[in-house]
Amino acid sequence: MIAGVPAESAQAVRTPPVSAREFAIETRGLTKVFGRQRAVDGVDLAVPRGTVFGFLGPNGSGKTTTIRMLLGLAAATSGEIRLLDGAMPKDTRSVLPRVGALVEGPAIYPFLSGRANLQRFDAADRHTSPATRNARVDAALERVGLGHAAKKRAHAYSLGMKQRLGIANALLAPRDLLILDEPTNGLDPQGTREVRNLIRSLSDDGTTIFVSSHLLAEVEQMCTMIAVMSAGRLVAQGTLDELRSAGTARVRITTPDHADAHHVLAGLGLVPEIHGRDDVITAELSVPGLQPETVNAALVRADVRVRGFEASGASLEDRFVALTGEGFDVAG
Amino acid sequence: MPADVSLGLTLVVSEITVLFRRLRTWAMIGALALIPILIAVVVRVSSDGSASGRGPAFLDSITQNGLFVSLTALTVAIPLFLPLTIGVVAGDTIAGEANLGTLRYLLVAPAGRVRLLLVKYAGAALFCFVATLTVVVTGAIIGALLFPVGPVTLLSGDTVGIVGYFGRLLLLALYVTVSLLGLSAIGLFISTLTTIPVGAMAATAALAAVSQILGALPQLEWLHPWLFTNYWLGFGDLLRQPIVWNSFADNALLQSGYIAVFGALAYGRFSTKDILS
Amino acid sequence: MNKNWRWLPAGIVPVVIVTAAVSGSAVAEAQPQLPAKTAQELLEFVATSTDDAYSGTVEQSSDLGLPDISMATPPGRTSSSDPTSTALELLTADHTAQVYVDGTEKARVQVLDQLAQRDVVINGNDAWYYDSESNEATHAALPDKDAVKADLEAKLQEKAAEHPELLNLPRTPAEVAEVFLARIDPSTEVQVEGTSRVAGRSAYELVLTPEDDATLIGSISVSVDSETGVPLNVTVLAKGQEEAAFSAGFSAVDFSTPDADVFAFTPPAGATVTEAPTADEVKAELEAKQDLARTPAEAPQQPTVIGEGWSTIVELPAGTAAGLGLDAAAGNAAGMGDIMEIKPGMDPEEVAGAQALLEQALTDVDGGKALQTSLVSVLVTDDGRILAGAVGVDQLVAASRQ
Repeated sequence: MIAGVPAESAQAVRTPPVSAREFAIETRGLTKVFGRQRAVDGVDLAVPRGTVFGFLGPNGSGKTTTIRMLLGLAAATSGEIRLLDGAMPKDTRSVLPRVGALVEGPAIYPFLSGRANLQRFDAADRHTSPATRNARVDAALERVGLGHAAKKRAHAYSLGMKQRLGIANALLAPRDLLILDEPTNGLDPQGTREVRNLIRSLSDDGTTIFVSSHLLAEVEQMCTMIAVMSAGRLVAQGTLDELRSAGTARVRITTPDHADAHHVLAGLGLVPEIHGRDDVITAELSVPGLQPETVNAALVRADVRVRGFEASGASLEDRFVALTGEGFDVAG
Repeated sequence: MPADVSLGLTLVVSEITVLFRRLRTWAMIGALALIPILIAVVVRVSSDGSASGRGPAFLDSITQNGLFVSLTALTVAIPLFLPLTIGVVAGDTIAGEANLGTLRYLLVAPAGRVRLLLVKYAGAALFCFVATLTVVVTGAIIGALLFPVGPVTLLSGDTVGIVGYFGRLLLLALYVTVSLLGLSAIGLFISTLTTIPVGAMAATAALAAVSQILGALPQLEWLHPWLFTNYWLGFGDLLRQPIVWNSFADNALLQSGYIAVFGALAYGRFSTKDILS
Repeated sequence: MNKNWRWLPAGIVPVVIVTAAVSGSAVAEAQPQLPAKTAQELLEFVATSTDDAYSGTVEQSSDLGLPDISMATPPGRTSSSDPTSTALELLTADHTAQVYVDGTEKARVQVLDQLAQRDVVINGNDAWYYDSESNEATHAALPDKDAVKADLEAKLQEKAAEHPELLNLPRTPAEVAEVFLARIDPSTEVQVEGTSRVAGRSAYELVLTPEDDATLIGSISVSVDSETGVPLNVTVLAKGQEEAAFSAGFSAVDFSTPDADVFAFTPPAGATVTEAPTADEVKAELEAKQDLARTPAEAPQQPTVIGEGWSTIVELPAGTAAGLGLDAAAGNAAGMGDIMEIKPGMDPEEVAGAQALLEQALTDVDGGKALQTSLVSVLVTDDGRILAGAVGVDQLVAASRQ
């Protein structure tokens, strides 16, 4: 089975419209070549304003490189980037003050306290007001639950505390867009829940949030829209429902007459599989237009005794395995 | 969004704060302060009143006037210790931030690449001044503690009072600071080439040594006026009466040439560099 | 996305600097337009030059083909406690001096060494020599202003035995020019060869070419300031060489009266101050010395002058070499230790270094040892005579046999 071919996913990818105003992030043909390797290859991202947008892909699929280009840290080999109302990297100075970012994990000055770290990064932005700096830094620390450790030297921080500090850095000023690269890395389940709630509340305030992750479960819980990267290419983009419906539904039949059931299903052009127990047969509804109720009717007509009949939409996991050819770490 | 756009001086303040909150910075300043202390104590302990005429300049004058400790210490510190510490600070400017990963957050803030380079250079330049002043001031203090002090004899045989002498010491510190600005610019450029600060530090300090070695070879005399170390020991011209300003002016011109060349190189490199750390 | 233009400054800046450096020296070398003068007019102009109050920086450099003594001494330090190496150092290294002159009564020459300085100050009836490194000051009382010059000369002569560097101190270009202009004779071709810029001033180029096959001197160029007639630069070319063997000239000059404070000198506290004998005392002392040195068999011997013009050879009588601590015969077996006077307190390494260099510089010739530079040769004969002149060693050897 050929997985992840763009043609298959084409129906799920929304072609970005010409007008860019409704998008917080928009790229056209974004490409980055390192030597001979195309780390990012012709990516057309379109992140509508106000969404929590999941940027999904296995490690090494080009997510972080894409984010570096979005933020002007790396120059694109070719392609265009629009961030909020400006073009990157041309409008860096006007755009980036409105963007908070966590890129490839937090980075700290180990010899400074958590508060001094944030004051340093805040001072780097000449648009922020020095008068409100201390108040904003303390508010950001409180918001990520680091208020008690503000004066502690950052080298004594745990991985999770450093991660929170990195998120606090993204929240130093009111932002229109947050770009968070793997925001729950290193956090315990409690911390992960807190970050999820934080993102939800920020989103409620109208902030567009672009979350990259290699964890499907995380994205599925937080995001309304997602894009999937694989080997430098954008293989799918859309709402969660769109992606789910684009997948192949399955039927699961529990029957003592599995031979007959197998026969009926095969007659419909499906490829039945018999699982662990002898009395369960599953099949993907791989025939276009074939609905689960049609399968049920055919079984009834053939006098197959059905103890259980279950029709399910495609799981996102199956969908992504199909798109990327790789399994996801769902146990996040 | 705050409407007021400050001049961005807060980043300079922040840079200086960060630089001087590092233990490493203070360790280097402490090591520099140790030079005059060591000289003064050794001279005091082993002082037998006879001037041998050997050793670094002004060494023999210390027993008569403690204020000369500053000058002896500077003469000792300029060829090796000062360039070493400047190499550490200048080599660390960009590479150190890249190594910590903090560089990407400064740029995303956004600090602006050119602005960050300028701020980093300003920090290194300030360190040059502080380092030089450390040697001079510690020398004057320890000299005054261990030896008699009085009006100072200049190289020309003229005598200046203590106040006039401190004026000259300040000028001298300024001269040495200016002398080190070219090296700082070189360090800044090297620092943009790598994400390994130790490499940039070593390369910068090594270049100072190479330049001094080339400056000692008479076969390369044509090259000497172009070496950034050429006027390093020319601070003696400020200890003449009347003051000879030639080396100050030549040195300033030479150093600004180095600042321009390596500043431009650092700009070329840093403004086009992909920040991947 | 082409961001290569950001490298543009890195390309442009060095080009600008090189262009500025080149065009700067091109401006300096540009020949100014001046009213024509004949050689004779120019010589008279120099002779009548009146501007006697000025200050400036004099650069002296020599390339006599001698080994560089500065390599034998620790960097940043010249050993002024050792007359031999000081003399060699002044001959072989480059020097910068600040010169302040106000009439004939006030003058100050400061030889600027790295972290050291030597000063000669003349102010009315007082003359001072001060060396910062040894912190020694020598004072000479000058009887009256008419005798200033003769007296100073006598003192310099007297001090020369102890401090040969006194004689070698770079003087003003005007003084150097005087030495050469005094030697103009019928065998010298004198020409005005265009104009030049020296220390930012326009100058005539006066070129003296000895038409004498024997001398080592190729030509002497004197740059004469077009406004004041003061020689600003003197360059001596050895025969067959393109680089100047010797040059002394202003790199900056200011024809305004220097501040009177410059000439006020008080020896610093703690300095060793020596009172130099007066001219009369010196004369008496010298005569006494000669009386002592004279053995009954020997008639009083004076230096003899052989030849004339540019190829003049001066011969010092037998015994002079030994008296100065120079003995060619001793130098052969015992090494150079006897040739140089070793004083207590001298750095053994420096002594060894200077000896090695002296040994390297001296060559064995028929009947003695010779020092050959591109401008001057010195011969120390086996019987202790010294011959010197701006001629080849061959001429000295030939003269020694007459």
